[in-house]
Amino acid sequence: MIRLRAWRWLAALACLLAASALGTSPARATSPPVPDASAPLTIWHAYRGVEQATLDALLASYDGDVEVLAIPYDAFGSKLAAAIPLGEGPDLFIDSHERLGDFIHRGLVAPLPPDALEEAAYAPQALTAVTLPDTEGHPRRWAAPMSMKSLALYVNTELLPEVPATLEGFEALTETLPEGVFPLAWEANSAYAHAAILGAYGIELLTAEGDFGMRGDAAARSLQLVMDLLDAKVLPEDADGALVADLFRSGKAAAVISGPWLAGDLPASLHYEIRRLPAIGDAAQHRASGATPETEESPAPMRPLLTVESLMLSPRGATHPRAAALLAHLTSAEAGRRRARDARALSARTDAPPPSADAFLRAFQAQAAVATPMPAVRAMRAVWEPASRAIRKTLRRDVTPAKALEEAARRFQEVRRPPPPPKDPTFFLAILGALSLFGALTLLHRARQPAMRARLRASLPAYRYVIHGVLLVGLLVLGPILVGAATALFAGQPHQMYYVGLDNFVDILTARSGPLFASGSFYLVLIVTVAWTACNVVLHLAIGVTLALVLSRPLLKLKSVYRVLLIVPWSVPSYVTALAWKGMFHRQFGAVTGIIQSVNDVFGTEIEPIAWFATFSTSFAANLTTNVWLGFPFMMVVTLGALTAVPKDVLEAAEVDGATPLQRLWHVTLPMIKPTMIPATVLGSIWTFNMFNVVFLVSGGEPDGTTDILISEAYRWAFTREARYGYAAAYAVLIFLILAGASTAGARWIDRSKERA
Amino acid sequence: MVNVETQGLRKSFGDTEVLKGIDLRVPEGSFAVLVGPSGCGKSTLLRLLAGLEQATEGTILFGGEDVTAYAPKDRDVAMVFQSYALYPHMTVRDNLAFGLKLRKTAADIIDARVTEAAAVLGLEPLLERFPRALSGGQRQRVAMGRAIVRRSKLFLFDEPLSNLDPALRTQVRVDIRKQHDRLGATSIYVTHDQVEAMTLADLLFVLSEGEVQQVGSPLEVYEDPANRFVAGFVGSPAMNFIDGCRVSADGAAVLVAERRLPLPPSEGREPSKLAGREVCVGVRPHDMSIVEASAHAIPFTPSILETLGPEVHAHGTFGAHEGVVAVSADLPLARGVMVHVRPTRLYLFDQATGATLR
Amino acid sequence: MTARAIANNVLSHALLLVAVAFALYPVLWVVALAFSGDSVPTARAIPVPTAPTMDHLREVVSTTRPTPDGGTAWLFGRQLANSLLVSIATALVGVGVAIPVAYALARFEFVGKSGGMATLLATQMFPAVASAVPLFIMLEAMGLLNTRTGLILCYASTSVPFAIFQLRGAFETIPVDLEEAAMVDGASRFEAFVRVVLPVAKPAIAVTFLFAFMTAYNEFILAATLLSDESMFTLPVVLQRFIGEYDAQWEAFAAGALVVSVPVMALFYLLQKHMVAGLGAGGVKG
Repeated sequence: MIRLRAWRWLAALACLLAASALGTSPARATSPPVPDASAPLTIWHAYRGVEQATLDALLASYDGDVEVLAIPYDAFGSKLAAAIPLGEGPDLFIDSHERLGDFIHRGLVAPLPPDALEEAAYAPQALTAVTLPDTEGHPRRWAAPMSMKSLALYVNTELLPEVPATLEGFEALTETLPEGVFPLAWEANSAYAHAAILGAYGIELLTAEGDFGMRGDAAARSLQLVMDLLDAKVLPEDADGALVADLFRSGKAAAVISGPWLAGDLPASLHYEIRRLPAIGDAAQHRASGATPETEESPAPMRPLLTVESLMLSPRGATHPRAAALLAHLTSAEAGRRRARDARALSARTDAPPPSADAFLRAFQAQAAVATPMPAVRAMRAVWEPASRAIRKTLRRDVTPAKALEEAARRFQEVRRPPPPPKDPTFFLAILGALSLFGALTLLHRARQPAMRARLRASLPAYRYVIHGVLLVGLLVLGPILVGAATALFAGQPHQMYYVGLDNFVDILTARSGPLFASGSFYLVLIVTVAWTACNVVLHLAIGVTLALVLSRPLLKLKSVYRVLLIVPWSVPSYVTALAWKGMFHRQFGAVTGIIQSVNDVFGTEIEPIAWFATFSTSFAANLTTNVWLGFPFMMVVTLGALTAVPKDVLEAAEVDGATPLQRLWHVTLPMIKPTMIPATVLGSIWTFNMFNVVFLVSGGEPDGTTDILISEAYRWAFTREARYGYAAAYAVLIFLILAGASTAGARWIDRSKERA
Repeated sequence: MVNVETQGLRKSFGDTEVLKGIDLRVPEGSFAVLVGPSGCGKSTLLRLLAGLEQATEGTILFGGEDVTAYAPKDRDVAMVFQSYALYPHMTVRDNLAFGLKLRKTAADIIDARVTEAAAVLGLEPLLERFPRALSGGQRQRVAMGRAIVRRSKLFLFDEPLSNLDPALRTQVRVDIRKQHDRLGATSIYVTHDQVEAMTLADLLFVLSEGEVQQVGSPLEVYEDPANRFVAGFVGSPAMNFIDGCRVSADGAAVLVAERRLPLPPSEGREPSKLAGREVCVGVRPHDMSIVEASAHAIPFTPSILETLGPEVHAHGTFGAHEGVVAVSADLPLARGVMVHVRPTRLYLFDQATGATLR
Repeated sequence: MTARAIANNVLSHALLLVAVAFALYPVLWVVALAFSGDSVPTARAIPVPTAPTMDHLREVVSTTRPTPDGGTAWLFGRQLANSLLVSIATALVGVGVAIPVAYALARFEFVGKSGGMATLLATQMFPAVASAVPLFIMLEAMGLLNTRTGLILCYASTSVPFAIFQLRGAFETIPVDLEEAAMVDGASRFEAFVRVVLPVAKPAIAVTFLFAFMTAYNEFILAATLLSDESMFTLPVVLQRFIGEYDAQWEAFAAGALVVSVPVMALFYLLQKHMVAGLGAGGVKG
């Protein structure tokens, strides 16, 4: 049962009010974590399968009280960010080293004690990876490396006894391999995979100075190379991780570039080997101008990014007396050997080398030696989105590589733009204070008038029915909304926010000083959002109302069967079905293409499969189809209900009056269900306007962020770019203002048309 | 069994005053009917008595006890709603028993009362049914039954017959009166139908525009209406009014359609007060008869005849005024006839205020 | 039947069949994936499982965890129970809170009524992106982090506004006479509300309950963020664990999705009649 002490509620309320009144982040009010030696250590991770089992086994062999929690990967980062500053998080957690920069910035991680690492025992690139400057600029070790992961080449030895030494060498294989088998596959659209190719050209995604690295002629050539491979059908199109795995597993790709995680998905019957990534002939001649010349090897080898999975200490963990011991236990040579044996993870320790019999790990070890540790600084977070967009845009042949890269560099700058400078909040506070005072006085004045007092007295019985609802919604819905809206006036990280006035709004509304209708600008996205909402609502209504009208025909049989089947889309969790739709829209292997092929087979037509996410219109259509599918049952059910209230005699009267069925529908039925449909449509529009799931999961904004709607833009600013909560909050406030304005105007319009009628 | 009294009862909704000071006196055990056109405030008055609305001003006394501030449940009244308001989620039996259960009556008593009421109203075969499976008449009887089982001191009826078809209405009307006589409780009945009002009431309250126009037995009200409104409202077909007639200088006759109709001296009438005044003359259709020719008859031109079996209602004009005459069906009606008015049944109303002139 | 009526009927069924195909097709793909032993990437039009197997289903439902006394406990069962507990409690709290508020909005006039309604609508307009962090901090201040109570309160409070809209519409369609009859019969206003209005509004309440249940039952971000104990996880969090940083077990994910959907589908099936009546009888009046 829910048993709450009143004082805790009051404390929370007071805290909230104080926080919003002072205009500071509420988190500041929380006290620092208190170390407690007797408290059990907690460790969080996002491992699955054998990795999880190995970790559990290692922890079981540790003599001490440890609580372990496996968290879905998608929620891992946000959970850490939410919990650690409040002292609710783990003492230790396992994550990739590349998040360290961000974690340091947000104060989620503490540096290791000076002698925590046996430095000599680690691979040098692993140590480099976990070394970053602290807030004062001194380099520190921030995590204990555990295992290293990078891409390597998986080769199906049955299909490919001889592995070409260069990427270009795979081209010839299209002729020797059986029909329908791709010589090579990788996630060509992803910047992570493309970084290996860039590496061969001597380019890094992020330069040492923290600038966008994917520029210049060599970068353009790297993209041209992939385009050529796609043209030559060496590579499958639009391959994502799942597709790469499926192709290799089913023998439809002779070789794939993937990481160690792929091995777990492969059946024992498949004969394969791991090799180092091939070299690139072109790259040897066209290395980036600034890059150090490749001496040992020619042609230039591909250099994948190296990820070092590391054990990190939270600030609370750093004060826990037993944390260091657990850290040592989990990162010991013995633990490394165990992970190598059981989880087949490449240890970051040189004194825990893979067993000599393990060709798999040895190959990954060899690859790790020619891999580049992924930059862990915060600026790296801003690289992925522009880089991936540029790659996808180029591979879709929308623009030339040079153009795409130029744009990507500009996007990077935009995200990295320094946040607005702090401003003096005195003026704001004065205005706020004056307004609150004025409001309070007005209320008091009104409450003292006798007529108002009589009305208030008459309202008392009603208040008894609503008071708890007001409290709950006020505290848990309105409170967070108000605080959230207030953050729109702030910038900086959640726990060091500072007041910037309306700068966030100014920035958004001036399209970040760019052209007003540039891609990604507020106005363009708003237009897309409005179009998205309008199309959805119109289709929801059209389909929902039509089906309801058909279903309410009195003589129709099997009504209840149809009704049940038609509301199925509603009952499956939408994050599952949205992903199912995304899969169906895959150009080469999606069900929609399957249908097109069947049509071609049966009718002898030659319809080309559609690359759904390549152009705005088809991508928008894919999102729309998914959301219409998700949303029409609601409108159908609402309409069915409304139709039950339409009296038969009115329809009969209309029929006697000589109205055709269509006229009856238009002049009698629709006007009569209007009172029910209008509020449902209003709510439906609001929900669609903020329908984040579908856009994010189906098109993901493709192509080039054009199908993003305002809410997904807000989400990106909050979570995938640089965690600019203030900026995201400003978007949220603008969304709110737009919706509130639209619905007020809509209500006026409806009232006026009622008056006219 | 309780007498009901209200003193200066007022009720406003916002700026609209619906009841403008009602003083009601309903003796113990009588059947009072509040009648008036829609919007006259009669239903509001009933709801005030039930406690469903709070009076803006004034007091309500049940048996001398001030109940103005009481909640409905504390007033111990039973009410039959126009819509019957049967609880759709309960069987007939539960509907009947609900009021008793709320008052924590013992189960065996509830049983006995329900059985008795069901027997009286012929509801026994329906006890386990839900309201949606009942006909209109059956629903009405359940609503009655729900009031009966309560054995309240006061019964309130809010137009309980208006949702029934006419044939059933007469029968149920008789049933209601029967039950009243059997139980002996005070009843207050609201209707806009003056036939119902006339047939049911011991005491008739005619309401208009939030005020009681007249109180009395049905016959008193019929015979001696207090004003033009009551005269026109009570009686069917409605009284004919002929505006702009002048009383002769001696006060012994009134000029109607250029004919002199004598005004016989009657109780309370003072010819001197009337002499020479312009008045409105009222004549009930049943108080006229067709004559060959007579000095005291007025011309009538019938246009439409409504045949009701033994009698005919002839609609037509008296000179410039529309009106109705009720005549025996076997009498031939020519195009233009003369009608004779029984002089004792002539009503005179003040042209401005509508008050009856005597 | 006239030829025209027959034609109309055929047309109706054809239209409905097309709609049903549209509604079921993606779901059938999820089903096919859940029962596929291997996934050979080919573009196919008909969703049938390749190398049919129950392994994924078994894998999803048969997770265990060690108990302190050395045995193993059925983790999936526990998590299913969590999901049901949290969702039912959410629905109970959410609908429980919404009912009296909706009743007051439907039946009483009071100062602040229209302002309250506008505020309720406004809460639907503000995106959750910006209010998630403050909410988290508040729950911490109340000591409700990592408790099912906290999760339930969050879900319940978010489900309240819609529930109020729904129920207010439903209450407005119930004749006032019924309550007045009950009050004359001897009930207080509150008793009339509980013993007459609530039973009459049962279908609408059931539908509102279902919606509140679904908000909680399908949500995973908040659940994953708030809960820090595996034995407290709800099923969507468990499902999300099949999607990793580099790879995903789509078949298991699909199998899990099916398992998760079964209770909701059952509820939908049971309530579908009421759903029409509940939502339709002025259901979502704004």
